[in-house]
Amino acid sequence: MRSRQRRVIPGLAMLAVAVFAGCGPKAPEDSRQGEYRVATTVGMITDVVKVIAGDRAEVRGIIGEGVDPHLYKPTRGDVVILNEADIIFYNGLMLEGKMADVLVKMATQGKPVQAVTEVILAGGDYVMVDESEHYDPHVWMDVGGWMRAVPIVVEALSDFDPEGRSGYEERGQSYLDSLKALDAYARASFSSIPEEQRVLITAHDAFNYLGRAYGIEVRGIQGISTESEAGVRDIETLIRFIVKQNIPAVFVETSVADKNVRALVEGAAAQGHTIRVGGSLFSDAMGAPGSYEGTYIGMLDHNITTITRALGGTAPAGGFQGKLSAGSPAGRGAQ
Amino acid sequence: MSWLPLDTWIVVTGALCAAACALLGNFLVLRKMSMMGDAISHAVLPGLAIAFLLTGSRSSIAMFIGAALVGVMTAVFTQWIGKFGNVERGASMGIVFTTLFALGLLLIVKGADHVDLDPGCVLYGALELTPLDPGFTLSGFGLTLTVPRATAVLSGIFLLNLGCILLFYKELKISSFDPELATTLGIDARWMHYLLMTLVAITAVAAFEAVGSIIVIAMLIVPAASAYLLTHRLSTMILLSLVFGVAAAVLGHISAITVPHWFGFSDTSTSGMMAVVSGVLFGLVVLLSPNQGLLFRSRRTGKAG
Repeated sequence: MRSRQRRVIPGLAMLAVAVFAGCGPKAPEDSRQGEYRVATTVGMITDVVKVIAGDRAEVRGIIGEGVDPHLYKPTRGDVVILNEADIIFYNGLMLEGKMADVLVKMATQGKPVQAVTEVILAGGDYVMVDESEHYDPHVWMDVGGWMRAVPIVVEALSDFDPEGRSGYEERGQSYLDSLKALDAYARASFSSIPEEQRVLITAHDAFNYLGRAYGIEVRGIQGISTESEAGVRDIETLIRFIVKQNIPAVFVETSVADKNVRALVEGAAAQGHTIRVGGSLFSDAMGAPGSYEGTYIGMLDHNITTITRALGGTAPAGGFQGKLSAGSPAGRGAQ
Repeated sequence: MSWLPLDTWIVVTGALCAAACALLGNFLVLRKMSMMGDAISHAVLPGLAIAFLLTGSRSSIAMFIGAALVGVMTAVFTQWIGKFGNVERGASMGIVFTTLFALGLLLIVKGADHVDLDPGCVLYGALELTPLDPGFTLSGFGLTLTVPRATAVLSGIFLLNLGCILLFYKELKISSFDPELATTLGIDARWMHYLLMTLVAITAVAAFEAVGSIIVIAMLIVPAASAYLLTHRLSTMILLSLVFGVAAAVLGHISAITVPHWFGFSDTSTSGMMAVVSGVLFGLVVLLSPNQGLLFRSRRTGKAG
């Protein structure tokens, strides 16, 4: 018995090693010539990394359109993408929930992993804090904030692939130029909204950076974004505010359920104030891949144009570059 | 579709989780307490809230300790209410977990409304991510093997459960079937209950943290329930439940990475698919079980009629 065990155990161990380490012809890839792989999490990060990396790298994002990154669960395919990547970018500040723990672990194993907003956090007092250790991760909502992400990505890619530095810097610079133009468009559009109507009401509080940058008061329907139902008084207070300020529209979001916003509309109607759903905004996820709204600039253009037009300001229906999809974006989502 | 080392780790981790849960599941099913895992998954909310309010952080360690303490409390309170309130066990579980869950909501609304404390965000791990989170490295026979952290944790939990069941097999068995008889034989059925419930709480919270909730809740119930349909011998039932659990883990992962491709989709959630396969296996047992299976029963009644 004992001697049989002695023979069996090493045999099993060898088998186990073969299964765990040996299957598939996966040779270790080295990232020498240009072609290397980048993995990213949310679409906003994927977009900026794609633009800057150009064709020097294959960039693959794992969190798709319309997905709430707080609730995202990776599949085996996503894990393969992360595992095969030579460098990983993610947002950070708890946007990706518990997955960030794993990404941080991968970084300690020697894989280059960059939390974009956490570098912005370390770089000064830009990032908004609302309770101890609870930072607002939605930095991209302010074009000026996302401009801070560009040099971070340029620097990280250049460190990883020094030969590509000049290309990264060049593409980074021209991207910054388009972001500056977008920022100017945002300022011009929002300042056309009558001052007392510069109030943005949405389901969850993803728009604080936008509010701070462009002088718009932001009201999320607080407390309801968690699992609680204890928001009746919040909704009443908000309805009184809407009626008093004569706010024309409230907004829904593509990645958040809209039932609380509908409750506001009905509540205001009961008090004789007609309020429209001004359209559906992109908050934590972008539009369909391949479409204009599926890029960072298109997503922000959509949000800026939709908000401006619904709140009584003037902005072209086609948006900043006339590229927004057919039909007034302000009308979409208002069914 | 090529099989990568990470697939092996996902399957091994899923199988260990299934086995650890299925072992305890046998006793839960026999005691009509199958929903304990689900109860604990809700009841941990105040633990998360209190841990956040005390430490001011959402670090995984704080969240885990908070959840584990409340998990054990859920088990203890359930026993107390069953005993002093003279309520049946399903109801006392319901009272405890809804009350604790509601308490957690109140604490969050009062103290931490702006913070996302959803267990899905701060506590539950993901089975698929386990290969990316290395725990320790084994070396021997000239080779090295890096074992993921979740795999190591679940191996520990599996061995703990197996050890306790082997050590107290007779006591657990008698007190599950006939608590009065156990008492006359000098076995303290109450302590056996506390032991079992503590094991369930530790297993559930550790497994939630390592691999997520759905697979744990499913594996605490379904493999044992399938086994129960096939045998009335406890030792056979435990062995069969392990077979069902491990089979669901292996087939679940293979289905998750192949079936959606047939229809042009990309991979789906492995832990979700493991739970589905577990349910499918149960369905097959319901149909095909030699003693109680629907198929054979209708044939038997057909003959009789």
